[in-house]
Amino acid sequence: MRSLVEAHDRIKDFEWEPSYATKQDRYPTKYKIPSKTKDPFRHLVRDYVSMEQEKDDRQYGAMEDALARSGAPAKAEGRWMEIMKAALPILSFGEYAAMKSCGQLIETVENAELRQGYMAQMLDEVRHTNQELYLNRYFAKHAEDPEGFAQGLQAKGTNIFNRAGRAALEGFFVGDPIEGALNLQVVAETAYTNPIFVAMTEVAATNGDQATPSVFLSIQSDEARHMANGYSTLAAVVSEPENLEHLQKDFDRAFWRQHAFIDPFLGVVYDYFQKERSSSYKEKWDEWIAEDWIGSYIGKLEPFGLKVPRWYEDAKERMTWIGHSAALLAFSAWPLQFWRFDPLTDKDFEWFESKYPGWYDQFGFFWEGYRELTDPGMGASTLSLFESMPPLCRVCHMPTIFPRIDTNTARVQMHEGRKLPFCSEACQFIFNEDPQRYLAYKTWYELYDGYGLDQFIVENGLLRADGKTLIAQPHLEMNDRMWTIDDIKALDYEIKDPMKGDLYKDWIEEPVDASPSAATVSP
Amino acid sequence: MTSPAPKPRRDFTYIKPMGKRLSEYEAVTCYAQPDPSAFDKEGWFLRTSEGRVAWEQSSTALKHPHWFDFRDPARHWQRTYVRMQAEQERSIERACEDAARSGAFKDIDPVWLQKILGVHYRVWSYFEYAVFRAFAPAQREALSDTLGNVLCFEAFDRMRHAQAIVIYLMDLEDNIEGFHDGGSKEVWLKDPVYQPLRELAEKLMLETPDWAEVGVVTNLIIDPIVSALGLSQLVRRFAPFHGDTVTPFIIGTVERDRERNRAWADSFVGLVTGPDVPEAEANLIVIQGWIDKWTPLALEAADALAPIFEEAPLNVVTFEQARNETLEAHVAHMERLALKSAVGVAT
Repeated sequence: MRSLVEAHDRIKDFEWEPSYATKQDRYPTKYKIPSKTKDPFRHLVRDYVSMEQEKDDRQYGAMEDALARSGAPAKAEGRWMEIMKAALPILSFGEYAAMKSCGQLIETVENAELRQGYMAQMLDEVRHTNQELYLNRYFAKHAEDPEGFAQGLQAKGTNIFNRAGRAALEGFFVGDPIEGALNLQVVAETAYTNPIFVAMTEVAATNGDQATPSVFLSIQSDEARHMANGYSTLAAVVSEPENLEHLQKDFDRAFWRQHAFIDPFLGVVYDYFQKERSSSYKEKWDEWIAEDWIGSYIGKLEPFGLKVPRWYEDAKERMTWIGHSAALLAFSAWPLQFWRFDPLTDKDFEWFESKYPGWYDQFGFFWEGYRELTDPGMGASTLSLFESMPPLCRVCHMPTIFPRIDTNTARVQMHEGRKLPFCSEACQFIFNEDPQRYLAYKTWYELYDGYGLDQFIVENGLLRADGKTLIAQPHLEMNDRMWTIDDIKALDYEIKDPMKGDLYKDWIEEPVDASPSAATVSP
Repeated sequence: MTSPAPKPRRDFTYIKPMGKRLSEYEAVTCYAQPDPSAFDKEGWFLRTSEGRVAWEQSSTALKHPHWFDFRDPARHWQRTYVRMQAEQERSIERACEDAARSGAFKDIDPVWLQKILGVHYRVWSYFEYAVFRAFAPAQREALSDTLGNVLCFEAFDRMRHAQAIVIYLMDLEDNIEGFHDGGSKEVWLKDPVYQPLRELAEKLMLETPDWAEVGVVTNLIIDPIVSALGLSQLVRRFAPFHGDTVTPFIIGTVERDRERNRAWADSFVGLVTGPDVPEAEANLIVIQGWIDKWTPLALEAADALAPIFEEAPLNVVTFEQARNETLEAHVAHMERLALKSAVGVAT
């Protein structure tokens, strides 16, 4: 019988000291990685492909056969299906970014065991990208309202929430490869894949969506190996004492960057798109992030000198309200999105109040008002309720309204003559560590300042097949209460960059002291 | 007044299909990578400390107005790719099981076993591993999802090839008394016969940051010359004459991968030199430069293998014959692509 251990020992021996060529520093890293570590896992290519084929056959088989024939997707709760239109495009980019992260880890980390693990993960990530796009197309074919599924990847580039998602997920591979591994394997996969792929599956199933659990649980069955990759990478990094000072900084940044997008986004997905209600996102967060990840996983690394991430307590404190604040913006800015929004009912109000005591006092007024403004006949939109759209954070791209609009921690900093908004002390600190990292792109407002709302919608393909009706709607009714582009024109709403003018002048403050480069900034 | 009920769109309308209808491959692959020239106008959100962004046009010397137009001729996505490789691996496993049960392994000529399988074939696993290493960062840098995926699959192919050799020799150890696989690493590191091959492998793995160059030269120069001669002509062609029935079977799966990869590389050359591409002429010059640079290295690596042909107990073909056949096929292939082979120049 072939011994797996022996096979692995021989395979690990593929590496040698090159003598005819010199390795180039393609992905510079601050870290020293020892060449020998513990195996992340033991799978030969032969066993891996056979295992993955079996999983694929089960999952795609179920979707192609029983689920499609029974018309299952069309029977799922409409409210739930709508948020899958937003979630799948951004989730699939996360998988794709992860594949790129693995490519640069293979290049950079001089360790044969880890390279084997990264290789299998690299192909897993192609798998997950394909699975999620397959699911997206499956919904386009079978869902009651396919509009939004069919355009998701096209619409995501100009969508304010999808942009924020992409900015966080670029952290998987744009930077020091080890920083990428911290973002991907240690934070996103170890902390967040449970609430995404396990807990979300419960919500989906409760709401009649059987296809998503079939895909997500199959994805999650690969994640244990990725977590093992993360743990082995981390174990290798902490075994060199001089790595610790970089590690803590990169880890702090990685946690905050992933939290700043994932938590408000998932909060909206869970709490505002369940029809048949079960747990709240806050409960899932306490279980998976606070108890499991911080309490157990990170706790185990403390003896090696790794501490709980710097802004963890801030994040924990924000968790009560950030999902609700994000929902408020998402729903009030519904014409900018590519999915539909089901108004909350009295029954929902009760659930929110029981899960988040004090919710009604803070948010009840908005949701009462929202219900009144879903009919185009009213001639007003929820967008007109606000003085301006909120500034978007320079680092995390999320609106600067957290934890709540009235208690927000937003601030503005002058940088090279520009007013840059930040959502929090953490994002501002991260910016000042290395400002050039966050200055490559055009902000959403820079792209669309001065646009009429109707112009934004038409230019970005957010209309249905008739060329008149919006893909997004503030309700789920497929009738004459659907908004058309004429209704939007009648609103005469113009997108304005809130950073122009004096609206936020009181927010301007000194930069937080993060690095010497911050000293060049003047108020 | 009732609004007209719009007939909804039920498929991805943003992908331009290669054929008449959108294929499953295209639907689950295209635009997974953001495309700033199409829908992602904001550019890249993050820079590294060194100032680079997620993907950069300078990652290859070739130019194309829209890299996303590339399509894998094999139309593989993960499911079809993994299924295909699982089938190949299962067929190898069965062939080994059958040979073990029937005692066929015992028919292998002992010199063939020790010298060709135990040393030459084993050394090949290091070469395949180096190619894996070259393709992993190439997939990272490729300028579209359709290109990233073919490079990723090829990286995986190469690890499969390398591992298959090691596992096969373990099977031989279990079935042939006295045979032991010592790894032959010293041979790879020191034997003059393999030094040009190692040099080629190290240059590809460590000094070829251009992802397109890795794909083009591996599939159009290195494999058609070096792998064709050292693996197909020597090991696969000689094996049956030495009582070895299973090795040719394993190499058959490698050749299948090689054909698939050559096909995408052919298609890629077609893409960048097509009549609609403004930089077609400049691209042709770049590719010709790669051919001129890598062909002498490949020939040197291949020619250094000549003594191994002498070590096989039965000289099925001479090195010269095998070399001529291999190079003829290679030159003809280059001609079909309207490229100039550098074989004549180099010899």
